[in-house]
Amino acid sequence: MNIVVCLKQVPMVSELPWDSKTGRLKRGQAEGMMNPACKHALEAGLRLKQAQGGRLTVLSMGPPEAQEVLYEALALGADQAVLLCDPRLAGADTLATSYTLARAIQAVTPDFDLALLGCHTTDSETGQVGPQLAEELDLPAAFNVEHLQLAGRTLTVRRVSDGFLETLELDLPALLTITTQEFTPRETPLGGLERAFAQGAVRMLDALAIGADLELVGEKGSAGRMLRVYSPAAQKKGVLLTGAVKKSVQELLERYGDRLGGLIGQDLASEEEGHG
Amino acid sequence: MELNPCLKHKVLRKSVREFAEGVLGPIAAEIDHQARFPWEVVEAMRPLQYFGIQAPPELGGAGLDTISYAIVIEELSRVSAGVGLCVSVHNSVALYPLLRFGSPEQIQRLAPDLIAGRRIGAFCLTEANAGSDASGVETMAVRQGGDYVVSGTKIFVTNGGVCGLALMFVVTDPGAKQAAASVLMVEKERPGFLVGEIEELAGMRCNPVSSIFLEDCRVPAANLLGRPGFGLKIGLTALDTGRLGIAAQALGIAQAALEAGLRYAKERQQFGRAIASFQTIQNYLADMATEVEAGRLLLYRACALKDSGQAFGTQAAMAKLFCSRVAREVTNLAVQIHGGCGYSKEYEVERLYRDAKVTEIYEGTSEIQRLVIARGLLAQPAVGRAV
Amino acid sequence: MDKAGRDVWVFGDYRNYFQNRVTLQLLARGRELAAALGGELCVLVLGHELGQWVEEYVAHGADRVLALDHPCLRAYQSETYTRLLVDLALARQPRVILVGATSFGRELAARAAKRLHTGLTADCVELAVNDQGLLVQTAPGFGGNLLAEIVIPRHFPQMATVRPGTFQELPHDYERQAPVEWLPLPAGLKPERVRLLKSERLPPREQALENAPVVVCGGRGMASKKKFRNLQELARLLGGQVAATRPAVYARWSEEGTLVGQAGRQIKPQVLFSFGVSGAIQHTAGISGAPFIVAVNKNPGAVMMQMADVGLVADANQTCLALIRELKKRLRS
Repeated sequence: MNIVVCLKQVPMVSELPWDSKTGRLKRGQAEGMMNPACKHALEAGLRLKQAQGGRLTVLSMGPPEAQEVLYEALALGADQAVLLCDPRLAGADTLATSYTLARAIQAVTPDFDLALLGCHTTDSETGQVGPQLAEELDLPAAFNVEHLQLAGRTLTVRRVSDGFLETLELDLPALLTITTQEFTPRETPLGGLERAFAQGAVRMLDALAIGADLELVGEKGSAGRMLRVYSPAAQKKGVLLTGAVKKSVQELLERYGDRLGGLIGQDLASEEEGHG
Repeated sequence: MELNPCLKHKVLRKSVREFAEGVLGPIAAEIDHQARFPWEVVEAMRPLQYFGIQAPPELGGAGLDTISYAIVIEELSRVSAGVGLCVSVHNSVALYPLLRFGSPEQIQRLAPDLIAGRRIGAFCLTEANAGSDASGVETMAVRQGGDYVVSGTKIFVTNGGVCGLALMFVVTDPGAKQAAASVLMVEKERPGFLVGEIEELAGMRCNPVSSIFLEDCRVPAANLLGRPGFGLKIGLTALDTGRLGIAAQALGIAQAALEAGLRYAKERQQFGRAIASFQTIQNYLADMATEVEAGRLLLYRACALKDSGQAFGTQAAMAKLFCSRVAREVTNLAVQIHGGCGYSKEYEVERLYRDAKVTEIYEGTSEIQRLVIARGLLAQPAVGRAV
Repeated sequence: MDKAGRDVWVFGDYRNYFQNRVTLQLLARGRELAAALGGELCVLVLGHELGQWVEEYVAHGADRVLALDHPCLRAYQSETYTRLLVDLALARQPRVILVGATSFGRELAARAAKRLHTGLTADCVELAVNDQGLLVQTAPGFGGNLLAEIVIPRHFPQMATVRPGTFQELPHDYERQAPVEWLPLPAGLKPERVRLLKSERLPPREQALENAPVVVCGGRGMASKKKFRNLQELARLLGGQVAATRPAVYARWSEEGTLVGQAGRQIKPQVLFSFGVSGAIQHTAGISGAPFIVAVNKNPGAVMMQMADVGLVADANQTCLALIRELKKRLRS
């Protein structure tokens, strides 16, 4: 079985320094990490590979630093890693990204049986790349998958969509996006890292190496144009309480009792009755 | 000369940090309060090769270089110094001497259990009358046929309460003391191997430091590491490596304190602004960061010397001396920045402050490190070598 | 410039109609856009036994309904729905297609945009038409605390998804009349490659957070799982529900189902208590419906504090505990 997993390096948002003047996250200073849903997708791929045998390729698009997540994936058990690294690929929207990933998959591992992606990334959260890649590769696909089973060449998957628990069946080759619900990722074994780096490098490919049309990649190949970016400074004229905790809490309840009050008092009373 | 961390070391640091923050982070304060050894963390670390960081892959180890080793200990200690201590001692002064001095038979028999973390290693040198002066060892091992019969008491044994294999410093020839200092590897299940009460210590409280009593404990002569009388050499070699581990641990503690200080200084408001805007606090932070950075370079330099097969004992002692002092000073300043909160168990820096001190004491006090450094210096010509 | 027509299409997503009125909300905004473009507001609805939905859409402002009613479309399946939507869009050239950001809508919109080779902006919080007749889409950008205005200048149709609750629906008017085109299933429609074996509706308790009058939300500043649990007690006292931000969910202090924001739930409590939340846009995108916010954060500069009606500069957990104590005291007296 030949599996390809697309991984994205995203900024570790919890650690992002924040510019108090512009209200903007200082991305350049952020440490990168493997996008959580991608990590679950990789785990799903590794489990399938363990059960079925075969080969697992990891693929990412990004700056040279994105090698980090690919080495991490190699340490966890991926067999080969490819980074699409080319300034011409920068600024891509999901239209251009899905085109580029499809070209790369076809160039690197054209005989793949299964493509896996995270259901969304923490830095953009659009969740569009999976469905669009499925279209570009013209594959049967299921999204937001929580559970999967393979019998022969047929996948049975379970997912939740708009309050419905669905069981779907599709034949390989196929594409799935994986949520963070199941497939808890394994931890990196120290020796795996040593092996990953001893094994050889992450393969770096540019736009031409994957046979991409330069008109269709990066910012050039993207449909959307940014007109302006602004801070949603629709700030309220709020009140700031800075004293001791106890005093602030009392002040909150005194001054805004009417706002908070009705429902609070009422619910308190009924709650406490119930709880004795 | 390459002074920047390579990609491997960067990825390694991130992955150990993620593990430590994920598994150890949520319980670090609690295991310190309760002085509880976190077996569940050991369980998680076993398959990830934390108990065989530099051991060869053929034996199940991770086969990492020494800088990687330092990074692993540093990152574990940044979150929980007591767990960092456990892993450091196990790898550097139990497993490493076995791999370095053990016979092929001994390695085959004893190393896999250590590497897989099925047995945690300990190193028993200190006694009531022997510490910095290793020649004061009074634990006796008397040869009886194919066995040694061992009697004596070891104190302040790191990992004492949880160890499965202890490297025991003994006198094998009671007649001529120092010449006959030897190392016996003793499994905890041998009759006469008794673990004493867990010590109530100021810091590193999740590590069960204890006494170990040996009461006519029979140990096969096959468990003698190296030759009889080889003990001092083994001990000194182990301690050279061990010092890298303690320096890394001290660095991890200092790094945690630096981060805590920075975080608090940016958050805490006084006189209507963040205290980080005051020059005094900025000076503290600048000093802390500079010391940590200097310590890190010194430590990695010692590790790189070891990796390239050169003598590194003096640099290891320097790194241990320096980093342990940095840990004490940086944690002190971090508490100072926190003010009253820093003295409260609500905040992490209180624990860091307690944990830091002992790095100046164990595996050779700062005074002993200076002795080692001076000895190395004085053995050289006064004109410095080109380095 | 007039490569495309002037019409605005809204995808009629009637699944979960009673909990989720996003189609009606899109109709309200779509009417304004269509008026600005000088085109029609058209609903495309696919499925089976569509009569009642068609009526609803007309009552809520549709100028025209395109309905494709067939038993084989009973289940929402994105491969087939994509084909139908794409073929109709190619034939009729709408200028704008709006899709509600339900799970299904996101899939459908993404696939259709790819097939139509056009742009799709996710989770728009504002939609307008500029003087060049382009749809100006305002959406969270850069994963930061920023909004970006985006246009799709050279590709048609211009597509956007919008989360439920972003716009207000219009009052219905069952007297309204509009043409309804009942379209036949196209000949030669390929069978769906993804076979739906089973679909069961999950119990609707999932909506508890959306409907809660009070929500107590915790972020990274709660510092630990143990402390995070204190929010449960506070929520109980307030008769509310506990919610969480991405870092808190990622640290496993709280379940994925409690995530509020762009990738999680949209809430509209009368009062939102926000503890140790910095206020990244991914989170604040989910709380725009809260009219009164109390935020607790050690950093008075945090975005969340600036969005708050009352901000307490204090440790999140200590404040939570103090509130619990104070509420209990007031109850007793």
